[in-house]
Amino acid sequence: MTMLSTISISADQSRFVAFAGYLAREKGADLLLSSSGYPAKTPSVAGVHPMAELIIEKDTTPDEIKKFCFGTPALTMGFVSYSYGMKLRGVASNKASDFPMGHLKKYEATAEYHPTTNQVVFTSENNPLITELTERLAALSDAAPKMKLHGLPHAPPAASLNHAEYKAGVRETLERIRSGHTYQLNLSTRFTWNCPNLDPLALFFDMRNNHPAPFYAWLNSGSSRILSTSPERFLRVTDGHVLSQPIKGTLKFDKYTPELASLLTESLKESAELSMIVDLIRNDISANCTYGSVFVENHKSVFAVDTLLQMYADVHGDLKKDRDCLDLFFDAFPGGSVTGCPKQNSMSIIEELEPHSRDVYCGSVVVIRDTMNMDSSIAIRTAAYDISTGSLDYWAGSGIVVDSNPASEYQETLAKAEKFLTLGGQ
Amino acid sequence: MDILLIDNNDSFTHNLEHLLAISTKSASIIVESHANLTTLAFSRFDLIVISPGPGAPVEYPGYERIFASGKPVLGICLGMQIMNEYCGGRTGRLQKCMHGKTDTIVFNGTEHIVARYHSLYVTQLGNGLEILAENADFVPMCLGNRSNRWLGYQFHPESFLTPHGGAFIDHALDYLDLG
Repeated sequence: MTMLSTISISADQSRFVAFAGYLAREKGADLLLSSSGYPAKTPSVAGVHPMAELIIEKDTTPDEIKKFCFGTPALTMGFVSYSYGMKLRGVASNKASDFPMGHLKKYEATAEYHPTTNQVVFTSENNPLITELTERLAALSDAAPKMKLHGLPHAPPAASLNHAEYKAGVRETLERIRSGHTYQLNLSTRFTWNCPNLDPLALFFDMRNNHPAPFYAWLNSGSSRILSTSPERFLRVTDGHVLSQPIKGTLKFDKYTPELASLLTESLKESAELSMIVDLIRNDISANCTYGSVFVENHKSVFAVDTLLQMYADVHGDLKKDRDCLDLFFDAFPGGSVTGCPKQNSMSIIEELEPHSRDVYCGSVVVIRDTMNMDSSIAIRTAAYDISTGSLDYWAGSGIVVDSNPASEYQETLAKAEKFLTLGGQ
Repeated sequence: MDILLIDNNDSFTHNLEHLLAISTKSASIIVESHANLTTLAFSRFDLIVISPGPGAPVEYPGYERIFASGKPVLGICLGMQIMNEYCGGRTGRLQKCMHGKTDTIVFNGTEHIVARYHSLYVTQLGNGLEILAENADFVPMCLGNRSNRWLGYQFHPESFLTPHGGAFIDHALDYLDLG
């Protein structure tokens, strides 16, 4: 077996982003692009020349996925759809969707940008490829990739749940809360545009320039191009130490001032939303963590992303000796902040109330390094563009609790979709 | 001590498992799904814990054999309501349904902050049970039968919102004569 070689080169973030744009455009690379200045920090990753791929289907077992990820030393990147989570949690669906339940890849070469050291680390078995890539990085300017936006939608989208239907869904959710069948539930709607001339990669980089967030991802899967602009970490495992950072509590603002945070942290409703999901995440990681290792830190912290304030907490734990990061991932998937609580019942109610399939939305974008090291986002603020049909899907939702007001929850959903709803002067 | 923890499809069961493990220090805890209740062999366990969960007691049949076994039983939230209905009590909707918030109750003569997650509550007490704590609105927060060695908490000692959750496990072990 050939050995993996690594080479490190100094470069700042903007140069790496320019390089990532080149790799995605010219070499069909998949990308995880982080940004600095957010509580969730993670290295950015570009993967080129897939040399092994696993498309997750309904019969794919977590063991088969583990074998794919851990069988060879190269890192794995890709996504796991919400629909695979439904299968894992035993929630049946009769909605037709041919979107894959997940798609994971190993690459002939990866380039990772480490923000703390300003180093780009190239890893490959193919030394000439590393040389080619490093020379290309050195030749690039620091400017962000210049890609011309074209083919943006000019007409408003079709919504799977329109204003009235969404509010009716919230009212039905409130009834299910009062009957005790869910304590909190995340209800979403799907927006669909027809834009056959869209350049999705240009849109991805335009979004990132104007609306940075820590877990941007660009992934190629069949005819789908996934544009994830997520601000939320699902699970990170670092040498067996687990960190989850669930987000609950959203406040739209026009002009940011630090005092706004107290509107979230002092709200009983928003606090309850987050606390509930923190208890759920504690539970979900506890299945694979040692007794006494699970604790909560920075409860009700707040950060700004887009024009939204978001509240979050850090939930920590240590993996049990005989467990790996994917045992943890599959037992905790999909993330509790996008299901509701308790998870299985809430997912069944979601399946009943939402007419659309969530596909990649509320799934996860993952980078798996080895059995004890991974990072993953919650695939919210995420779009999927089908290059064969020209259809662009974007989903947005809101956490419903007993104190929720249907009209306010719909406004929150629109706020989370604003950067897509305002594209192209619709 | 061997503890059987029966999970009613809840998302807090492992929190309870960890709290029981930490509080007892040495207990071995087996978590089983409510779906397997009818075939569960539980004679080897010293304590049976019934987890919280969504919905109403009537949706969780099969607990009769647990209560008839003579084993000490601790019920949390739905688990307490199941215990109460087994004794002929009733459950109804709360006027102010409460999830993920804290309440302050007097328990054993001391004020405690506790986490509440419930839409339903004990509207009529079952035969042989006594109310051991209630909140300011007279919602039962703890009930039990000492001679049968049954105890229930309506609130959630396993939540991170309950600052001293372990104290309620200690109290339960004492009440159930397992201390």
